Amino acid sequence: MTVGTRATSGWPWWASWQGIFRFEAFVSAAIGLAAGLAWATTGGHFWPAWVWFGLGVPLALQGAVRWGLRAPKGERALFVHAAVSFALAAIQLTIWLLAGLGYFWPVWPILGLGLVLSVHFWIVRHRPNAREQALANRVDVLTRTRRGALDIQAAELQRVERDLHDGAQARLVSVAMSLGLAETLLSSDPDLLAELLSEARSTTLAALDDLRTVMQGIQPPVLADRGLEGAVRALALDLAIPVTVTGGLAGRAPAPVESAAYFTAAECLANVVKHSTAASAWVDLRHQGRLLSITVGDNGQGGASLDGGTGLRGVIRRLEPFDGTLTISSPAGGPTSVTMEVPCALSSPKT
Amino acid sequence: MRVVIAEDLALLRDGLSRLLRAHDFDVVAEVGDPEALAAVLAGTPVDVAIMDVRMPPTFTNEGLVAAIEARARRPGMPVVVLSQYVQQLYARELMRSGAEGIGYLLKDRVADVRTFVDAVRQVAAGGTVLDPKVVAVLMSQHARGEPMGRLTAREREVLGLMAEGRSNAAIAAKLFVTGKAIDKHINSIFMKLDLPLAHDDNRRVLAVLRYLQGGSPPGDGDRQWSLPAT
Repeated sequence: MTVGTRATSGWPWWASWQGIFRFEAFVSAAIGLAAGLAWATTGGHFWPAWVWFGLGVPLALQGAVRWGLRAPKGERALFVHAAVSFALAAIQLTIWLLAGLGYFWPVWPILGLGLVLSVHFWIVRHRPNAREQALANRVDVLTRTRRGALDIQAAELQRVERDLHDGAQARLVSVAMSLGLAETLLSSDPDLLAELLSEARSTTLAALDDLRTVMQGIQPPVLADRGLEGAVRALALDLAIPVTVTGGLAGRAPAPVESAAYFTAAECLANVVKHSTAASAWVDLRHQGRLLSITVGDNGQGGASLDGGTGLRGVIRRLEPFDGTLTISSPAGGPTSVTMEVPCALSSPKT
Repeated sequence: MRVVIAEDLALLRDGLSRLLRAHDFDVVAEVGDPEALAAVLAGTPVDVAIMDVRMPPTFTNEGLVAAIEARARRPGMPVVVLSQYVQQLYARELMRSGAEGIGYLLKDRVADVRTFVDAVRQVAAGGTVLDPKVVAVLMSQHARGEPMGRLTAREREVLGLMAEGRSNAAIAAKLFVTGKAIDKHINSIFMKLDLPLAHDDNRRVLAVLRYLQGGSPPGDGDRQWSLPAT
């Protein structure tokens, strides 16, 4: 909020700098005029020039500061400095003029002001910029997380390829062989034929199961259907221990964030089941102030850490490309809670 | 028995239709999207509707929503929902309109033709048929809680098979015991779950429903889902 807008919105004139400045200028003008009229009636040496000068000095300095403050944030100090320096130089020149010229002494203070201003300018140009430093750090983080994200992706593709190769593909080959053999037995051995057909059918079903598992690992269908909240609720229902889901999301997070958040929540819940010996667990989901946060907690034995080989490192790596963070609270003896936070915006509900 | 099939993949739709016709079902309509299904259900008397979960326009869970809507318009309307994967969440959502006349199965189950056809007939008659995968998860979860904790391991097994839609004879065959023994188990289950005396089929459905609700965390799953607006 700037001061100027206040004056125009019903505030009294003395509540803003602009108002005070205007008032000051008006009073100065009145005094100056009065001094001029007084001289006009009395005559003699032209003394009102000094009155006008005295009245002008505060106005000039204020004007300079106000002009300098209009500069963009990072350069404001330099601009105020420059404006005040020019105002001071102008004041000294005026004094020299009013004092009747003569020896040009203002050259020294003006040179001094110029020198100080140059040093200031040089420092602003060459100081290590805080913003630049922040950007450099950011580039480091991005480089690391990008590599991490690509590693995860490559590893995922490898896993999918292996799963398909060892699972569904192998089973389909076996089905093809059974059917080929069955063809040759059409007339000769109907008993063995029936056996082969039944085997082919059960192998097909196993292949379907394999495919389902692989698909679940790529993108769980329920995540596409219902978004993060619904998918987490569905996940909670499928676990062997009771899991309570609280909170909720008013809309959908971007698909990559949803996916990462879902898999991290799934990993944490899998840890609960595998390691914590907990009797029950809970998940809290919310989105506040542009931050998606998921907390997974349990009443188990605690002692979870990043170095425990529980996959929490992998969770962090999944979150990092989205500037996500993970906090663990897991004292020995429990309870454990793991909070994941990812900055993101939600799209309007279910559109 | 009049059947309508809603499935967007022509290959699977034709296969289903052929399979059902071969087993003396009267396939009155085959449609590819939920709107066409609703139009058929509004104009034609149908004994059971078979639908895929994933259909146009968003290819997410239109079939599920269509099933819930169909049952809202005609309470107890028998529906069989088929899917490439099963979710407990979806099973519960379907059951919210009552467990009678509900089938929820993996598409894979169609391969076991006889069991599948039996399942469709059971649902049309008001029974409940859940996929063994859904039942298996429920089994593992609800074994400890009330009132399921009152059942013996064998009774829980029998109840699980009831939830899969199997007849007493099929359960007996599967567990290698006599039909009489199964009758005994089922009566004991009805007693332990405090089910009121009623028609036997109805009690079966109630037992399955009680079973499903057994592990439902309080306050969870009260939310009604709707189809994304397009």
